[in-house]
Amino acid sequence: MPSLISPAERDYILKGIECNIRADGRQRSDFREITLETSVVSQTSGSARVRIAGGSDVLISVKAEIGPVQVDPETGDGADKGQIICSIECAPSASQQFEGRGADDLNNELTQMMSRFLCSNNTAISSLSPTCSGSGGIDLSKLCIIPGQQCWILFVDALVLDYGGNLMDAIFMGVRAAIYDTKIPKTEVQDLGDGQFEFEVLDDEEDIDFVHGREDMPICITLNKIGTRHIVDATLLEELCTEAKLVVAVNRAGEICGLQKNHDGSIEPSLLLEMIQVGKTMGQALIKNLDAKIKEEAESDLTKRLQGDPARKLGFFAQ
Amino acid sequence: MNVTFHSPVPKAALDNKSNMRGSKKKFTAEHEMDIDDDEHHHENKLEGGIIKDPTIHVVTPAEVITSDAAFMRGHGTYVEDEKVLSSLAGVVERVNKLISVRPLHTRYAGEIGDVVVGRITEVAQKRWKVDVNARQDAILMLSSVNLPGGVQRRKQESDELQMRNFFMEGDLVVAEVQAFFGDGAYSIHTRSLKYGKLRNGSFISVSPALVQRCKSHFHSLSCGVDVILGLNGYIWVSAHVPQSLDEIDTEQVYSNKNKEDITPSDRESIARVVNCIRALAQDYIFINDSIISFAYEASLQYALKDLHKRHVMHDIATEAVAAVDSIKA
Repeated sequence: MPSLISPAERDYILKGIECNIRADGRQRSDFREITLETSVVSQTSGSARVRIAGGSDVLISVKAEIGPVQVDPETGDGADKGQIICSIECAPSASQQFEGRGADDLNNELTQMMSRFLCSNNTAISSLSPTCSGSGGIDLSKLCIIPGQQCWILFVDALVLDYGGNLMDAIFMGVRAAIYDTKIPKTEVQDLGDGQFEFEVLDDEEDIDFVHGREDMPICITLNKIGTRHIVDATLLEELCTEAKLVVAVNRAGEICGLQKNHDGSIEPSLLLEMIQVGKTMGQALIKNLDAKIKEEAESDLTKRLQGDPARKLGFFAQ
Repeated sequence: MNVTFHSPVPKAALDNKSNMRGSKKKFTAEHEMDIDDDEHHHENKLEGGIIKDPTIHVVTPAEVITSDAAFMRGHGTYVEDEKVLSSLAGVVERVNKLISVRPLHTRYAGEIGDVVVGRITEVAQKRWKVDVNARQDAILMLSSVNLPGGVQRRKQESDELQMRNFFMEGDLVVAEVQAFFGDGAYSIHTRSLKYGKLRNGSFISVSPALVQRCKSHFHSLSCGVDVILGLNGYIWVSAHVPQSLDEIDTEQVYSNKNKEDITPSDRESIARVVNCIRALAQDYIFINDSIISFAYEASLQYALKDLHKRHVMHDIATEAVAAVDSIKA
């Protein structure tokens, strides 16, 4: 995969975007086709694999583990909350530039962005929309088992298997699908008196909880400013021409849950507003389609299970 | 805005071999010497697709190919405990007593005289390093390029200092494999007006196995698009530039400027051809100029922006193969 681009190619892509014919025939606002499969890794609590046709390929896993609650020593916050810990890793096989320590910077950047979008518990936002506990959407208090002691920790890990542009959007679609797929066992807490608690994890397959607030999780739309225009779902070569990149995180209700600008180019105020607006409407439409697909997957898994037919996943044998 | 989500489909069954038109390799069906152990009898079943041809033996790394000591190990195999094991994922090939494994995915293995498309990755002492999809970067020596203006003289220190004026990091070039170095790296040259910097179009990369050696790798399609099929799987699709070797402006060989008059309809044709090539590559069909033309014809019934869709691509590839078949018949 190229990490360089020639001036002639850049000029060609730039002018192509100007007249709304991108190098692969798409228009500025067209996405490539996306392939999605959930429950692909059986060892996890929930997993998904997202592939953008001819481009990025990400595998997301969510693992729920029991751990101590993390209390903020200053504010005393967090005693009754679970945690989400994100990590993104780019496999060296995805691209030549990820070899050795080459992917470290990108890993950090992506992990930080994901943590910010998913885990932030901004009270200013939650006061505006009471359904949502923070911009990340997930209700962390429901993940707490014994307040002040034990909670569920959701480890959200993303592995980038192939890199062909528009990584962040693919990862967030995958995370939404994987969190939807996540099943957490129910727990029973016993009060032993003297403030002592004990709990038991039920291992019945039917006694499971889903992640609360998963519908309110955001996804993101990356808008690449090239020339005076902006495009979505950029390919690798288009990303190399990008002057400035705006990542807009949006939830189902069309609320902006986060914004991040990358690269060193500038965006004019009027264009910025337009880009945010486009990100918002596109994000909402994308969530709608994505949710329909996730539900379809879940339903087909369920019917197969009810028929006693073990759900066969294509996983890495798929095209 | 219209995003479509798909469920994954099984990999195209490998029995689609009939698509591999003109395959030079024929799997020998004779079985006078059975290399299979009874205990390692392979069923050749893959999840999703079943290989029907019993003569194809698919192996994965560390799989025992034979424990018969009579065989010699070839490429892609190693010996452990007197057994021949595969070191690759691929198909077993046998020539008399020599067993080798041909990998399913491989980098470009070049030969002298091959036309390749490459990207400059590094400017070094008197040479450029060029990514040609091979195991190592190819080397383009300063002495293997033409000087602008076509002057013929020895390269001097002043030429060495302005190497970036010829080729810069990231530039795409078309070149020919000239020789091999001791370590297996390729030495390439651009000492012909056919070769040099690429402009006015877009780049696409396919598996090197899909591009066959033919008489010419420079094609002008009837739709007004030029295609350069690099044998390394890198393909350059560009707007047609009238080519008669006498009229070439030799001063412009190293220019970075695209021509001014690339019209939207040119761009559409280029994008169409790019998508056709991608469609053929997706279905593992050999790529040459005639099948690209047929695929282009087939693509005309679809809108340009629909061409990146999976089922449309598949339809185009199928139609192109059918068109080639009907001509042969």
